[in-house]
Amino acid sequence: MIGGGGLIDFAIMAPAIAAHALTRSFDGFTAVDHIDLAVEPGQFFGFLGPNGAGKSTTIKMLTGLLAPTSGSIQILGQDLFYNPVEVKRLIGVVPEGMALFGKLTAREYLLFVGRMYGLDKATAEARSTELLEFMGLADQGKKLIADYSHGMGKKLALAAAVIHGPKVLFLDEPFEGVDAIAAGTLKAMLQGMIARGATIFLTSHVLEIVERLCSHIAIINRGHIVANGSLDELRAGVQARLTPGAEGEAQGRLTLEQIFLNVVGGEAGEAHPEQELTWLRS
Amino acid sequence: MAELGNAGWMAGQTRAQFAAIAWLRWRIMMNSYRRKGGAGEMVGMLLLSVLFLGMVLGFVVGAGFAAYFFALKGHLPWIAGLLWGIFLLCQLLNIQLGQPTTTFDPTQLIRFPLGVDTYVGIRLFFGLLTPANVAGTLTSLAVAVGIGLAAPGLWVYALVAMAVFAATNVLFSRMIFAWVDRWLSTRRAREVFTAIIFAASLGIQWANFTFNPAYNHNHKTHAYAVSQQKFGVVGQLIVKVEPWLRPLPPELASASLVQAKVGAVAGFAGYTTAAALWGGLFLLVFALRMRTEFRGENLSDAASAVAQKKVAVKVARVTSGAAVTPIRTVATGASEFAVAGRARVWGVVEAVLGKEILYVRRNTGILYGLVMPIFLVLIFASKFATRSSAGSVWVFPAAVAYTLLAICPLSYNSLGMETTGAQLYFMAPVRMRDILLAKNLLGSLMAVVEILLIFAIICYVAGVPSLQTALAAVLWAVGTLAVNMIFGNQRSIASPKKMDLQKMMRRQASQVSALISLGVMMVSSGLAAGIFFLCFWLHAMWALVPIFAVFAAVGVGFYLRSLKTIDRFALDHREELLLELCKA
Repeated sequence: MIGGGGLIDFAIMAPAIAAHALTRSFDGFTAVDHIDLAVEPGQFFGFLGPNGAGKSTTIKMLTGLLAPTSGSIQILGQDLFYNPVEVKRLIGVVPEGMALFGKLTAREYLLFVGRMYGLDKATAEARSTELLEFMGLADQGKKLIADYSHGMGKKLALAAAVIHGPKVLFLDEPFEGVDAIAAGTLKAMLQGMIARGATIFLTSHVLEIVERLCSHIAIINRGHIVANGSLDELRAGVQARLTPGAEGEAQGRLTLEQIFLNVVGGEAGEAHPEQELTWLRS
Repeated sequence: MAELGNAGWMAGQTRAQFAAIAWLRWRIMMNSYRRKGGAGEMVGMLLLSVLFLGMVLGFVVGAGFAAYFFALKGHLPWIAGLLWGIFLLCQLLNIQLGQPTTTFDPTQLIRFPLGVDTYVGIRLFFGLLTPANVAGTLTSLAVAVGIGLAAPGLWVYALVAMAVFAATNVLFSRMIFAWVDRWLSTRRAREVFTAIIFAASLGIQWANFTFNPAYNHNHKTHAYAVSQQKFGVVGQLIVKVEPWLRPLPPELASASLVQAKVGAVAGFAGYTTAAALWGGLFLLVFALRMRTEFRGENLSDAASAVAQKKVAVKVARVTSGAAVTPIRTVATGASEFAVAGRARVWGVVEAVLGKEILYVRRNTGILYGLVMPIFLVLIFASKFATRSSAGSVWVFPAAVAYTLLAICPLSYNSLGMETTGAQLYFMAPVRMRDILLAKNLLGSLMAVVEILLIFAIICYVAGVPSLQTALAAVLWAVGTLAVNMIFGNQRSIASPKKMDLQKMMRRQASQVSALISLGVMMVSSGLAAGIFFLCFWLHAMWALVPIFAVFAAVGVGFYLRSLKTIDRFALDHREELLLELCKA
């Protein structure tokens, strides 16, 4: 944009998450192969892929749980390798294993996490109280986390990830094992965070939820990014590749599931005859 | 659908299922040693097994000799006491070492086409080779050998009687622990049970030292006489209780041998059958438990937690008619990161320290391990107090060493109980150095409290130890603790072992780490003992303090230096660390 008086103003915003040539190999097997990612601030970014595609490996590298074999990662302009502590102050994570401490109560755990993220005691306590009420865990009292159900654990893990007000949130399968009511609570909270300028990076197998929440999506398959863009862009891209239906009619609005299956291979609901198991044929 | 349901289930298929499960256990065990550090684990396991076998061999030989002596002298009824000892040994070993947990949840087998009898057989069979059962069976066999050597005519009878006794012993253990698993399915029950076992263990130790004449041989005949008097009281108690014990397997086995000795074959058969019937009863009770398990009983804490929550929600709905309370917001005008620099580091250390204290409070196994040394010092100190004054010089140093034996191993798997929580240490803006510093600080605090308590006990029971000796012992403890923490921190990161919070066993650490911890303690204690002796004989006790002060300073210096490189070390090992701690 060019302003009056010859002055040139540029508003350059660093991506919230930027990965360049990110690679991770395990004993000769390359799980993530030179991927590039750029997630802009304020995006609700869905990261999808079939099982074993490299989703969890990627998110672990982005959050410092796994060292990349090569490549670089920047979060809000800070290099994760050179400034890990600064980066970690800015992010919140719900990892695959939820990172809970079984011998603590929910309140104790949140207080502990708050202190670990540098909050003073009073703030940590106040936020813990609010989070427990918000997540519907305030009535659990002295129950230890080890006795929690999976869904309760997920809610607590999410509470712990946001207690310090992160600017970027990484969620690995946050809706797995969570009932519809709890999922609704989580969705409302996440959408509120987006509205306030946070960036969310999410992996999930529940494509309906991803479709409803995410503005941008990347799909990884066998360690490579095979699709990356807004939902409309992906839809348009896949639409352009599809031929009209057998009846000669144009395809309707594609769902994310159809996009996903088209991109990674195979159409939903149709099994090739030769893929049937021999002893199951009646 | 093709084959299912076309033919009946055949015995061969059941045998194949047994074989498949045996193969499964073998593969799980072998695959577990293929992981990083698995070779070390296998070596550690083999070494510890050899040590255990050595100990068991002592019992076996002792039992064999005792049986030989009793049979030779015509005191066959005394065999009953020996058999009671074997029985108690087995149960204590089972408690101390734990029942063998399968490397997979056996109830996972329920989804396969198994009959209930097959399931019971599998659960019975795949729990037989425990250290306790092996020890009990070998000891029973040794008794048979001892009797056979003393009275060759009783060979066959002794073998049969002892085989039945050993089987009954094993079946009793399987039965009890199957039901104990049921009773201990909740955390509260496990805590209560651990406390009971702890109290019983301490009681046995106290009884051993109080009644065992071996611990009462001293110059003061009065004390010896008192010990004999106490022993006599116990003897009278045994005589009173003995009639009630006669129908039980150890007494029946002993009675069968007495019958065999006098040629009463029918009597021998009768008593042996009676003992075998006990075995049958234990098997039946075990089978009943397994049948309930087979039907899909859910005994987890989570299951009961869900049940409780349903009640709580129901109550809340009934009582609360108010509108939803709006969530209050928190003013965040001030910087979220309230502190910086050193204060920030202290914040992390304080937070981790607080968490660690909560964990110790909630782990009765660890608490038991911390209280035990103090109790034993109380017993030991009172015994050594009546001995010569020369011996009492070593009481405090020995007590300190024994205390460290309980505390030091904790630092070798300090991340084991975190399980998936360990991920937080790599996600949060903290340094592993600060995390481990906090954990080491807790270990040091526990050592300080224990040493203070021991000092107080010894002062009360045996008199105030010399200041030189006491100070030297404390300085040695500082240095040894520091050295252990250097190794412990590295092992905690490089070779962690996920600890199952539901298991009662205290020690769930890497075998290699356990050996290293023991090795460090032995070397340090050995050197310290050598220095103590040398100074004692050279009448240069004044040199103890400066020597151990240097040791402490060097130890602490190396410890602080090791902390500087621990962050890098942790980052280099984070993958295998998290792989181990986050595994299902």
